[in-house]
Amino acid sequence: MKKVLRLATVVGLLMGFSSCDSEKPTDGVTYTDLFEQTADHIIIPGYAQFQSDLSALGADFTAFDASDVQSLEKLQDQFKKAYLSWQSVSSFDFGPAAEFSALLLSNCNSFPTNISKIEDHIQSGSFDLDVPSNYEAKGLPALDYLLFHTSQSELLSELNDSSRINYIRDCIADMQTRVDAVVEAWDGYRAEFVQSSGNDRSSSLSLLFNTFLYDYEQVKRNKFALPSGFATQYGIPISADNSAVEGHYSNMSFELMDANLAALEKVYMGIGYDGVDGVGIYEKLKEYNAQSTVVDGDLASAIQEQFTACREAISAYTNDLSSEIENNNVNLTETSNTLQKLVPMIKNDMRSYLSVTVTSTDADGD
Amino acid sequence: MQTGINFSTYKDQILEGMYAKTSIAPLVVFRIIFGFMMFASTLRFWSKGWIDSLFLQPDHFFHYYGFHWVKPLGDFGMYAVFTLLLISSLCIALGLFYRFATVAYFILFTYVELVDITNYLNHYYFISLVAFLMCFLPAHRSLSFDLARNPKIALNEISNWPIYLLKFQLGLVYFFAGVAKLNTDWLLDAMPMSIWMQSKAHWPLVGSFFTEKWVAYGFSWLGCVFDLTVVFFLLSKRYRIPAYAVLVIFHVITGFMFPIGMFPWIMILTTLIFFSSDFHEKVVIFIYSKLNVKVGPSIEYNSLILHGFKRKILTFFIAAYVFFQLLFPFRYLLYPGDLFWTEQGYRFSWRVMLMEKAGTAFFYVTDPETGRKGEVDNSQFLTPTQEKMMATQPDLILQYAKIIAEEVESKGLKNPIVNAEVYVTLNGARSKLFIDPEVNLVELKDHLKHKDWILER
Repeated sequence: MKKVLRLATVVGLLMGFSSCDSEKPTDGVTYTDLFEQTADHIIIPGYAQFQSDLSALGADFTAFDASDVQSLEKLQDQFKKAYLSWQSVSSFDFGPAAEFSALLLSNCNSFPTNISKIEDHIQSGSFDLDVPSNYEAKGLPALDYLLFHTSQSELLSELNDSSRINYIRDCIADMQTRVDAVVEAWDGYRAEFVQSSGNDRSSSLSLLFNTFLYDYEQVKRNKFALPSGFATQYGIPISADNSAVEGHYSNMSFELMDANLAALEKVYMGIGYDGVDGVGIYEKLKEYNAQSTVVDGDLASAIQEQFTACREAISAYTNDLSSEIENNNVNLTETSNTLQKLVPMIKNDMRSYLSVTVTSTDADGD
Repeated sequence: MQTGINFSTYKDQILEGMYAKTSIAPLVVFRIIFGFMMFASTLRFWSKGWIDSLFLQPDHFFHYYGFHWVKPLGDFGMYAVFTLLLISSLCIALGLFYRFATVAYFILFTYVELVDITNYLNHYYFISLVAFLMCFLPAHRSLSFDLARNPKIALNEISNWPIYLLKFQLGLVYFFAGVAKLNTDWLLDAMPMSIWMQSKAHWPLVGSFFTEKWVAYGFSWLGCVFDLTVVFFLLSKRYRIPAYAVLVIFHVITGFMFPIGMFPWIMILTTLIFFSSDFHEKVVIFIYSKLNVKVGPSIEYNSLILHGFKRKILTFFIAAYVFFQLLFPFRYLLYPGDLFWTEQGYRFSWRVMLMEKAGTAFFYVTDPETGRKGEVDNSQFLTPTQEKMMATQPDLILQYAKIIAEEVESKGLKNPIVNAEVYVTLNGARSKLFIDPEVNLVELKDHLKHKDWILER
C-alpha cells in the first residue's frame, strides 16, 4: 500500500506540476489562427463591403431623380446589394458592433418594420432615430418598405415629397455613421480579438460562438418560423403572417435568408472574402476529432452537410417565402425541421467541443 | 445471543468514544477556516456579479420540491441577504456572537440555495449541512471574541462527537463520490473523462497526452480509488501525511482542469480537521501568541457533559443524522430506470463530476380552440443557464412547462397544451428523445414518484 501511495504521489506531483505550468497560456493559444482568419478575411472585409455598399446607396440616393424610373431601379438594386452584404456581418454582434454607439444589429435590421410609425415620422417631421422605440422604424427594413412597397410609378410620385426624401436620407446616414464607427473601431479591436485566450464570457471564443448561435437561431425563428406560423410570442402561438418576413416588400426573404446561412457557413468553414479557405470552426472540430451526437459520425462534416441541407431546402422553393406562406405550402414544415436539426449540433455538440461555457457560475466538482 | 452481545458492546464502545474528552482545538481551527472560506466565497460570488445574474435577472425561478414558496427578495433584499452572509461568516471566523451568526448563516445560505434549483451544486448542499451542524457545536469557546465578551465560557476540552461528526460529513463527500463512480460508464468506458480530456487537447505540453485513451482510464480509476479510500488513510495516523499530500494534489489538479470555483480550496483546508489534536493545538497557540492574548482559565470539562436522558436524546439525534446521511443517497434505488438518465434521486448524493449531459429542448404550445401550435422561444422566459439545466432534468422540464402555461394563460389563452421535444446526449452517446413528446405536460402533477413519461436511455 505504501508503494502505491508513493507512486500515486509521484504521478500526482507530475500531473500537478504540468497542469500548473500549462495554466498560464491554457486555452486560446491554438485559437489564434481561427481568430486571425475570421477577423482578417471575414469580419473586417465584411464590414468594409457593407460600408461601401451603404455609401454607394447614399450616393445613388443623392443622385436620385424622381422623374427617372432608371434612377429608382438603380437605387433599388443598390439597396438589395446592401441588404445582402449586411447578412455577412449580422452574426458579429460583439465588440465594436455591440458598442452603445453602434448597436448595429438593432439599428440596421429590426424587422418587421412598423409602417405606421414610419409614416407618422415622415408626416410630423420630428423624430429621433436613436431611441430604441424607433428601431422598428429605421434601418434596412424601413428602406425596404420605403423603396419597394408599391409600384415604381407610385414610388416615383411619392418620392417627390421632400419629407419622405429626408427620412430616407436620415435612415441611410444613420447606418453609415454606425458602420463607419464599427469599421474604425475594428482597427484597434482586432488585436484584442485575435489575442484573446480562455473560454469565459468575454473571450473571443465565447463571443464568436454565442453570436454565431444567436444569429443562426434568428434565421430559424425570426426569418422563418415566426412568419410561417411555427413560433410563439411569449408562449402564445402566432398565426402565419407573411408580412413579417425579412425583406417583405422587395420580395427577397429567401434570398436574404440564404445569404445569411451562406455567411454563417463561411464563418464555420473559415472561408474568407478572398475565397481562401483558412482555419474555421470546421478545422478545429476536425482537429478534436469531434463526434456528433445528433447524427452518426464526424461532427465537423455533419454540420457542414446540415448547412448544405438547409440551403438546398430553401433554394427548392420557386417563390419567395411571403408567397409560399400565403399559398400554405406544406413543405414549409419540412424546412422548419431541417433548420431545427442544426440547433443541437451547434448548441450542444459544437459548444461542448469548443468548451464554451453556458454557465457563468461554478460547476460541480470534487 | 452472541450477536446481540456483540452489538451492544460495539454500541458501548462507540458511545464511549463519542463522549470521551478531547481537545477543542481542531473544532476551533475548523470554525476559523470555515468562516473565512465562506466569507471569501461570498465575496467572490458577489464580485462576479452572480447576485444580479442569478437572482435578479431571471423572470422565473425553478423551485425545489415542496419549496415553491421560497421566492427571491428583489434587488435590495438579495443584496441585503448577501451582506448579512458576509457579516455572519466573518462573525463565525472571529467567534463573535457565534450562535446567532451560525444560525443566521445557515438560514440565509440555505435560503439563497432554495431560490432556484438550477443553481444546485453538491458543494452548496455540503456547506448548508456543515453550517447546520455548526449551529450546535461549541466552536466559539476558545480563540474567539465571544471569550472576550464572556471569559467564563472558555473551554479547553470537549467531547469527541462534534469533531467526529464533521469528519463523518467530510468523509461522506469523498466516499460517496467514489461509490458513485462505481459504474460501467466511468470504469469501463472512461466516460465522461475521455470527453473532458479531449477538450483539453490543446493544452501545451500535456495536451497530446490527454487524448490518449489510457490517460482517461488512468484518471477515472485513480479518481475513483482516491475518493473511496482517502478518508480511511486520513483517519490512520500512519498514512495521514501522504494521504493529505495526495488530496492536495488531487484538488489542485481538478481545480485547474474544471470550472469548480472555491470547492477544491474549501476541501483542502477543511480536511485539516483530520489532523491530530496536537497539530491543532499548536495552531491555536501560534495564533494566540501572534495576537498576544493570554489564555484564561477554562471551565471543567465535566460540568458540560450530558448525562442520562439528555445524553440519550443527543445520541438519538446524532444517530438519526448519520443514518439519514448514509441512506438518503441510496433513495435512487426506489426508482426504475437509469439514474444518470432520469436523475430521479440524483441530487443530495455527492454525485460530483460524474457525467457529461446536454440537452436541447423544443417546447410547443398548442391552443386547443384554434389548434394553432408554435415553438416557444426559451430565451423569452429563461436565462441561458436555466435553459441548459432544465433541458436535461425531467422535474425541471415539467416545471418549465407549467411556467409557460401560466404565462400563456395570464395572456388569455385558456387550457394550453404544452409538449416538449427534448434531445439529450449522455456521456458522448447519440442524442435521444428524452421524454414522451406527445404528453401534455400541463396535465402532469409534480411528485416524488417515478415519472413514467421519461423515455428509456
